[in-house]
Amino acid sequence: MSYFDTNKKIKELKKALNESVDFAYRYYKKDGQTIAFVFLKSIIDANLFSSAVYYPLQTFEQKITIENLQNDILKCLDIKLIKEKDIIKEILDGKLIILTNFSKEIISVDLLKFPARIPSEPPTSPVIQGPREGFVEDLQTNVTLIRRRLKTENLVFEVLRVGSQTQTKVCITYIKGIANKKLVKEVTKKIKEIEIDGILDSYYVLSFLEERPNSLFKQIGNQEKPDIIVAKMLEGKVAIIVDNSPIVLTVPFIFIEDLQNSNDYYTNHIYSSFVRIIRIFGLLVATIAPGFYLALQIYHYNILPLNFLITIADTTQGLPFTPFLEILFIFLLFQILYEVSLRLPSYLGLATSVVGALILGDTGVKAGLISPPGVIIVALSKIALYTIPEQASQVTVLQLIFIILGGSLGLVGIVSGMVYIINYLNNFDSYGTPYLAPYSPRIPQDLKDAILVKPIKDFRYRPKSFSPQKKERL
Amino acid sequence: MKQISVRQCGVLIVMCIFANKILLMPSLMYEQAKADSIFVLIVLFLLDLLLLPIFIKLKTTYPDKKLYDVLKDKLGVIITKIIYILMLLFFFFKCLLVFSITYVYFKQQIYQNEFIFIAFISFLPVINHAVVTGVRAFSRTIEMFYGIVLAGFIACLVISLFTPISNPVFFTSNGKMFFESLYNHVFSFGDFIFLFLIMDKIQIKKGQEKHLYTYSIIGMLLVITLFYLFYAKYQVTSFMHNNALADLLVFSVQFNAIGRLDIIAMITIMLITLFQMEIFNYAFCDCFLNIFPLLSKTYSVVVFDIIFAVLYYIFIGKYEIMVSSTMFWLPYLAIFINYILPIILLIIILLKRRRKHEKKTNKSNV
Repeated sequence: MSYFDTNKKIKELKKALNESVDFAYRYYKKDGQTIAFVFLKSIIDANLFSSAVYYPLQTFEQKITIENLQNDILKCLDIKLIKEKDIIKEILDGKLIILTNFSKEIISVDLLKFPARIPSEPPTSPVIQGPREGFVEDLQTNVTLIRRRLKTENLVFEVLRVGSQTQTKVCITYIKGIANKKLVKEVTKKIKEIEIDGILDSYYVLSFLEERPNSLFKQIGNQEKPDIIVAKMLEGKVAIIVDNSPIVLTVPFIFIEDLQNSNDYYTNHIYSSFVRIIRIFGLLVATIAPGFYLALQIYHYNILPLNFLITIADTTQGLPFTPFLEILFIFLLFQILYEVSLRLPSYLGLATSVVGALILGDTGVKAGLISPPGVIIVALSKIALYTIPEQASQVTVLQLIFIILGGSLGLVGIVSGMVYIINYLNNFDSYGTPYLAPYSPRIPQDLKDAILVKPIKDFRYRPKSFSPQKKERL
Repeated sequence: MKQISVRQCGVLIVMCIFANKILLMPSLMYEQAKADSIFVLIVLFLLDLLLLPIFIKLKTTYPDKKLYDVLKDKLGVIITKIIYILMLLFFFFKCLLVFSITYVYFKQQIYQNEFIFIAFISFLPVINHAVVTGVRAFSRTIEMFYGIVLAGFIACLVISLFTPISNPVFFTSNGKMFFESLYNHVFSFGDFIFLFLIMDKIQIKKGQEKHLYTYSIIGMLLVITLFYLFYAKYQVTSFMHNNALADLLVFSVQFNAIGRLDIIAMITIMLITLFQMEIFNYAFCDCFLNIFPLLSKTYSVVVFDIIFAVLYYIFIGKYEIMVSSTMFWLPYLAIFINYILPIILLIIILLKRRRKHEKKTNKSNV
């Protein structure tokens, strides 16, 4: 009895896949038995197909049955029996489909092979000491990188399909017994509710996970390094790996996380504390320095030491712009140069630096269009921005806001702006965790890994802020 | 329910204690009671401190109830609404007074003519936002800035020690002056009443009550030290210096090389003013919403802004009118809110406890 007219079925499948250029099929016929292999040749490991499927079949001397195929011929491969309606889905997932004329069973064999990158140091998180491996675009590799570091039976990977067209795998990862159940449930619910045609990167998922989509501030953690993700999972967080993206997301996210760097844990804790203080200072300088300078120059010049005041007065004399317009002009100039340098090919980078630094900056000062203190202040704030590169985008917008506040309202404007922003941040929680914890509200237990860092041996308890199920680390 | 911790509550207490006392009050008090104003201050603080045990008792007796509901149950809706109207006025004028005094300070020090526009644009959106986001958000904000405020305040006190100071001369005023000063400045005290308004939003665990006393005492000691150093520095000319905390920094020649240090006082005063206005504005809106329960929080904020702007426009440049009214007719209001209302609440607590005790005795007899 023939269960499948393999020719007819293959024609149907070809039609269903719009006669795709990479659609392929092969037959194996022996003693009236026909075995058809259907696959997409662009995503199949051809060598594996030859060596682990076709060759064992050719050399198999007994009568072929479905049981033989499963238990003897293909025993080394990842195989499963599927239903007829799932054939297309499986083919698109890089599976080899086996149809026979002697059984109604359909076998799916995992032979997926993409052109993949080898895990290397991510350009956004270089380290001086510590692991250099970074995530890649392949979900399976990323899972391996995490599994390698977490040899526990409680490690959970839950895979969901998102995107009506892309059917992208989104993997929710957490440690059972540590991650808060409510958190896991909430994240799973949010991902299940995503309605979109395609997920091309983890940022697509991120926008669905954010509790305040219209906020300027970062609400979801993103990392490219498996050691950091594992550390966060050990704190009780949930990680979200998206296929085709090297960026892994984590929730909940709090502000202090961007001050923490993996280097901090692989070096002396006193030095790490010092570096974190520098980062906080850098963040403050980056955010308010231009606005503060403007406020002092326009409204509070009597506060400045006399020599400094004379220098400013000397250099700003005869400028065609008001101080406010001058700083705004320099700020915009820097921003344009930055955007250009990001998008220009590297061989033109040097030319941009020359044009930016020498022609626009130096000549601008010499021509009396801008003042040296203005250039120094804006340049300082732009350099300070990269003490915490993760915050660069939001701090750039804040810089502009504080330039406007400082230039129009003076110090009162800056202080009010700061209070407003802190109040705004205090009003939102990231999946139940206060955004400015452990400082506001103050959580003494979590201060061990805040601005000042304690030695790792003192991290006996997981951060209370994330409400982990198991509070003690041991 | 979104509640605040004892630490956050303590920080709010400190901000309330600073309210209206760090700029103009030392010089105003000196005009009446000379250096003995420090004793006036201590007496008023002690009276304030008496409110704290009443608050703790009320909180333990009615752990999850709002003050409005407690009063409504015992005194009826009409009397409760009248009390809330009085409290609304009390907090509104407190907020206006804080703003008036700071306005004069900033106008004199920095902004000259354009400050009223700047102040309205800078302050009102921030305090409105704080009120709309709720007590939990703004108490967290104040908690975050608490260290900076305290450091700024203490820095002003410490820097003043670098100029020549000598002990103020005490016991130069008579009893009449003393009590007049006590009466005239009563409006600037009693800020703990704010705690009664948010009693349902405070989470006090057993044994944490003492922290409230600690914070109160820290705030009070800082203000007393400010008064002492101010009088020690300016002696008989104290009445001429209207911005006590900022004036402590003047003439500190040792620090001239690094620029004028007014900026420390300026930022500290700005922060304290903003936080005080947030607290008083919140109290105003809370009272407003209890009086008009059908209206929204946004409505109450808008009403506050309109009345505030109109009144301030009337008083613009005439803050003396504002200050003198706090000395003449507002003390009546203050005496009711600060002392009579807590006594009423104390009676309510005692009656409730007595009833509870009677029930227990009856049960045990049965």
